[in-house]
Amino acid sequence: MSVVEASPAQSEALEQGPRRSVGSFLRDNEIDTRMVGMIGVLIVIWVGFHFLSGGTFITPRNLWNLSVQTSSIAIMATGMVLVIVSRNIDLSVGSMVGTVGMVMAMLQVEWLPSLMGRGNSWIWVVALALGLVLGAAIGALQGSIIAYVGVPSFIVTLGGLLVWRGFAWLTASGRTIAPMDPNFQLLGGGARGSLGDTGSWILGAVACVGIIALLVMGRRRRTKFGFRLRPIWLDIVLGVLGCAVVLATVWVMSSYYLPENLARAYAEDNGIPWPEGGLLVPYGIAYPVLILLGVTLVMAFVTNRLRFGRYVFSIGGNPEAANLAGIKTKRTIVKTFMTMGILVGVSAAVSIARLNAAVSGLGTLNELYVIAAAVIGGTSLSGGIGTIPGAILGALVMQSLQSGMVLIGVGAPVQDVALGVVLVTAVAIDTVYRRRAAR
Amino acid sequence: MKKRLWAFVAVLALVVAACGDDGAETTTTAAGEATTTEGEAATTTEAGGDTTTVAGGDCIVGMSWNNYNEERWAKHDEPAIVAALEAGGCEYIQADAGSSEEQQITDVENLIAQGANVVMILAQNTQAILPAVQSATDQGIPVIAYDRLIEDANTFYVSFDNVLVGQLMAEVIFEAVPTGNYIVLKGNGSDANSDFLREGIGSVIDAAVEAGDITIVGEDYTDNWDPGLAQTAVDQWLTQANDDVQAVVSENDGMATGAAAALDARGLLGTVALSGQDADVAALNRVALGTQLVSVWKDARALGTAAGEAAVQLAGGATLADVEGTAEFVYTNKESGVETVLTSILLTPIPITQDNLNEVVDAEWIAVEDLCAGGATAGPCAG
Amino acid sequence: MTTNQTDGVTPLVEMRDMSVSFGGVHAVEDVSIDLRPGEILGLVGGNGAGKSTLIKTLAGAQKADSGQIFIEGKPVTITTPRDAKAHGIETIYQTLALADNVDAPSNMFLGRELLTRWGTLDDSAMENATRKIMGRLNPKFQNFKTPVNALSGGQRQSVAIARAVHFNARILIMDEPTAALGPAETEQVRQLMRQLKSEGIGIIMISHDIHDVFDLADRISVMLQGKLVGTVDKDKVTMDEVLAMIIIGKLPQDVTQTELADLRG
Repeated sequence: MSVVEASPAQSEALEQGPRRSVGSFLRDNEIDTRMVGMIGVLIVIWVGFHFLSGGTFITPRNLWNLSVQTSSIAIMATGMVLVIVSRNIDLSVGSMVGTVGMVMAMLQVEWLPSLMGRGNSWIWVVALALGLVLGAAIGALQGSIIAYVGVPSFIVTLGGLLVWRGFAWLTASGRTIAPMDPNFQLLGGGARGSLGDTGSWILGAVACVGIIALLVMGRRRRTKFGFRLRPIWLDIVLGVLGCAVVLATVWVMSSYYLPENLARAYAEDNGIPWPEGGLLVPYGIAYPVLILLGVTLVMAFVTNRLRFGRYVFSIGGNPEAANLAGIKTKRTIVKTFMTMGILVGVSAAVSIARLNAAVSGLGTLNELYVIAAAVIGGTSLSGGIGTIPGAILGALVMQSLQSGMVLIGVGAPVQDVALGVVLVTAVAIDTVYRRRAAR
Repeated sequence: MKKRLWAFVAVLALVVAACGDDGAETTTTAAGEATTTEGEAATTTEAGGDTTTVAGGDCIVGMSWNNYNEERWAKHDEPAIVAALEAGGCEYIQADAGSSEEQQITDVENLIAQGANVVMILAQNTQAILPAVQSATDQGIPVIAYDRLIEDANTFYVSFDNVLVGQLMAEVIFEAVPTGNYIVLKGNGSDANSDFLREGIGSVIDAAVEAGDITIVGEDYTDNWDPGLAQTAVDQWLTQANDDVQAVVSENDGMATGAAAALDARGLLGTVALSGQDADVAALNRVALGTQLVSVWKDARALGTAAGEAAVQLAGGATLADVEGTAEFVYTNKESGVETVLTSILLTPIPITQDNLNEVVDAEWIAVEDLCAGGATAGPCAG
Repeated sequence: MTTNQTDGVTPLVEMRDMSVSFGGVHAVEDVSIDLRPGEILGLVGGNGAGKSTLIKTLAGAQKADSGQIFIEGKPVTITTPRDAKAHGIETIYQTLALADNVDAPSNMFLGRELLTRWGTLDDSAMENATRKIMGRLNPKFQNFKTPVNALSGGQRQSVAIARAVHFNARILIMDEPTAALGPAETEQVRQLMRQLKSEGIGIIMISHDIHDVFDLADRISVMLQGKLVGTVDKDKVTMDEVLAMIIIGKLPQDVTQTELADLRG
């Protein structure tokens, strides 16, 4: 294990000794200080609401609900990061959710049953698949107009906001379509739409092993090339913390039990005799949250490990440099919007499954929450900067605030004011922080 | 690169053409009417003055929608309005303000400019629309306030008695749940109807609330009457109350759908009393299945017909008081205390429960298959 | 005095009768220059002379309206930066063309990333390669993980140069290479250029600093308002004569003593 010479900045810092700040220590070891800050804010919000609500916020039930409520916005926020990083914006996502959601609803309630026969167990798969294709197609259409015709994304997606809201209405003439296909409903969570405790613990164990494996592989790789390593104690702390968070999450999700009547129904369905003291059937991780986790892994992989992600960031940092480097910038832009479109499809599926209905106003104002989540999570509107985990944290912060306020009885108008203030404050802090760091 | 562009334009054109046909189904009458009024001269009729004969083409009625984006307007209200107008020999033109107060004022001006003799307004905001009403009245054009009240004594108010709607739904819920914990889901904060409904609900339960028999564990306005927001709110209130809730009074069926989803997630669907308004397909199905206790039915077709018939009479020169079937309605503004006396036609809403489902079927408001989907056996679904 | 002919050696690059117009303006009009292996050609001229535009046609960043380009005697078509790189032409732009929010190794391999056998980015290999290259050029450079906008001007310059040098360039285009540098860094760049020259790499250098040009270049091509005034051997002219070419557009053999004096005055 060899360690390369420290850089001038680092040797200067080492000389300073204990005066070196926690911030620079974290940065030197490739830990995102901003993310750490956001986690801190989240903890403050949770603890605050816990006391204000008389001990209801930090309970398995509320946290489980929170996780499901956050999913649909968070799923889209991961895609919005790429769009904003590449110096574009997508104002049409809410309306796209409306159109894609209504189409998926009509598919499973009217169009597919007549083609495939009522109750066909493949209906939900076909409906979901076609919804994703539609989302991708809309994204590709908007992306092409932006990249190849050169109309600014603000305008194209503003037009999309109007167009797709209209199509959402036209799809079913404004009717509410309900209920969804029974298998499709599972995508929205609820009693049957969760993993159960065994599945959740297995997933948690896998995740924990995964985190440790990543840390170990990282060390091995850096050793092989002779790069500077994180101090071993830090890696151990990170590993332990990571596992702790994963396992704590699984434990919380598995501590949320079915209410009695649903537990009885579960017992009946599975031929379990009903015991004296009642049966505790844990929910486990809800399927929407599972979908969100899957989306997060995929998007993080795409952003960090694939050329596509690297190109998106380069275009955001310096579009001219990207062009001169031979990157096919236009094609990349179209792909970012297509990705956004696919994620819209996923989010719409989760939304209509959770509501068990599709209304023509589905997704109204979603674009604002998605953009706010990405921005609170550290994505800069001037392009080039943003992270996937940050966006999800941003969505979680916003939903925690919103749900928490309902819990403590704050009225809807005040909620709107509070969310707006938080959004501006978060970005203001971020701007000042970046300015300081640049000096 | 150019090929790609043309390919997408072609795809877009195809898509628009294909969907244009779907849209035309429900709005052909409106579109058809609108195009023929372009070249017509406007004939203003002076209220109480010389009457002009209303020959075909001389009577134009303009409808200003606040937001066409809800199931009932296109499905029920508009066809009834148009039918009544046609029967009376009038043309129908319309505009959609897309939930914007400013846009609606422009829409009203445009309808007048296109020659409307009478303007019907479904107001987005009862205060913000007043300048448009004033302008119309100044030009001698009668204004009908459709379904939503406008605080101007010169308007003709045609609606269902919304206070009565609230009262009727609360009566059904109160009978089933005389004591216990209630959740009240109110509609959009800036919609006067939300408060009318709450007034009606209050007239039934306030006494019990004061006596302590009923406790309201959650009550709030819901932005845009949004079902998703309603679902989240009910999630939170159920959490806070530890599921100890016996009734959810929802001011409309859209929000009731959201509440139903939240109740279902806790296995409470069918055991907690749920109300709604509008008698939309999903809600009536829930009534048939026994998971919603009541949906207050306002036969929007009757509303459209009444408004259309009133419009024909007003266009023919009748004064507000001359119109058949009117009564006085005194509206007191809660904040200012100002009273406005409105000439009005208020229709009676009908609460639909499992006992009278056949009414909606007989009136051809809903098809039996849609009502009974999912294995319902109540009322007309039996056998 | 002027030399368009090479002495029997096939030029590394020959640009013949290049013309570029924007709207009705002739940015470059029938300009012919050539570059021999192991030679530094200084391309000079005042503002709006057309030097950057001309060089962009070679770099693939600008399409020429007419003209031909020959690499080692063979005619080539260069329409994109990728084409240029495929022919061994690397460019260091005045603005450096670095993606500010991305670190040094990513910039080094921008558009030509090293991949693992599964098709994912091999960041470690790229960082390793970058360390080796930067070690050659600038041993004190250690910031391989920070975005390049956190680096000093000289460090950014060295990344841009390293990028150009690493990919086996035969022809290097440098647009104002020392404009933003301090004296120590400028000397570093100069030494590097001499070293590259000794390896047989041809360099076209755009500069407004006549001293730099005289120090480094072997031949000097002067442009004025889109046209080529002429190409001279550095050893056979004085700085004033070159200045006269730049400002008045007159070749050394045509310029008078009074005109030269006026320039100085």
